[in-house]
Amino acid sequence: MDARLRRVNKEIADCKNDKTSNIQIDLVDESPFHLKGSFPGPEGTPYEGGRFEVDIVIPESYPFQPVKMKFITKVYHPNISSASGAICLDILKDAWSPVLTLKSTLISLQSLLCSPEPNDPQDAEVAKHYTTSKASFEETARYWTQVYAGGPGQRKGKNPSKGSVHDDIAIAGLERVHVERFENLGFDRNKVIDVLRRLNYRGSNVAQITDDRVVEELLK
Amino acid sequence: MKVTVKHWHAVAQWRWDTGSDADNTHPTNNEEEEGDVCGICRVPFEGCCPSCRMPGDDCPLIWGECTHIFHMHCLLKWIGTAASKQQCPMDRRPWVTAERRV
Repeated sequence: MDARLRRVNKEIADCKNDKTSNIQIDLVDESPFHLKGSFPGPEGTPYEGGRFEVDIVIPESYPFQPVKMKFITKVYHPNISSASGAICLDILKDAWSPVLTLKSTLISLQSLLCSPEPNDPQDAEVAKHYTTSKASFEETARYWTQVYAGGPGQRKGKNPSKGSVHDDIAIAGLERVHVERFENLGFDRNKVIDVLRRLNYRGSNVAQITDDRVVEELLK
Repeated sequence: MKVTVKHWHAVAQWRWDTGSDADNTHPTNNEEEEGDVCGICRVPFEGCCPSCRMPGDDCPLIWGECTHIFHMHCLLKWIGTAASKQQCPMDRRPWVTAERRV
């Protein structure tokens, strides 16, 4: 039997037998080389209470080549693309070793959620948010966990606005008062959210970005 | 009563001496016991690497000076890739083959 198939089958079985790690690996279709992993968000982080799904593709020359993983669940984290789920982690690239397994790699992703590395970002905007105001970043990450990863808690005052399933301002990690101020100048809300997010209009940065600068961007 | 032995079958058992089980007893049946499988292909040392058909001297083990052990074929395949940087897969130290014990 194909070496890759044998090893992958064994890894899937090992993960099923392991009841303690709470890491799950499932087939997506009939192929054992396209899988879906999932794990709980680590305790004591903004991801706590959520369950995070990861798309797994086993390359032809596995385990001599790293497994391909990306988040299916949307995650707000400096090293994970908020748009595509792409992950910046050394062991998925040049620090891969054939003794790593699907389970150990998923555990590494879980621990990546515990220790963001904003100096080597996958998502520059999220990384800027993190370095500007960690508290505000964590609030947004928690909101994403709640909205996308089935995390707990509805925080007061952050309930979904009428007509939309969730709060676009909280998703973007912005303050309602800031968005409404520019909205009241007659700009479209989505446009305001987009511009303020790109300008990283948060925390101490707010004082450094003039209204003229924002309006200039809004008029583009 | 007199018993006459008509046939007998000799049954022998062998293991690589990896130095890890001092008493050479069977490994525990703990599923997590990974000490006796090759970390690269996950097949027991006493089995053969995925590219061989028969275990034994044709598919030997290789010892590193770092004390890590693999099927020789598995390790050489890894070391042959650029991605390995010629490092041990376990500890990322430069791979140096140790003199074979035994």
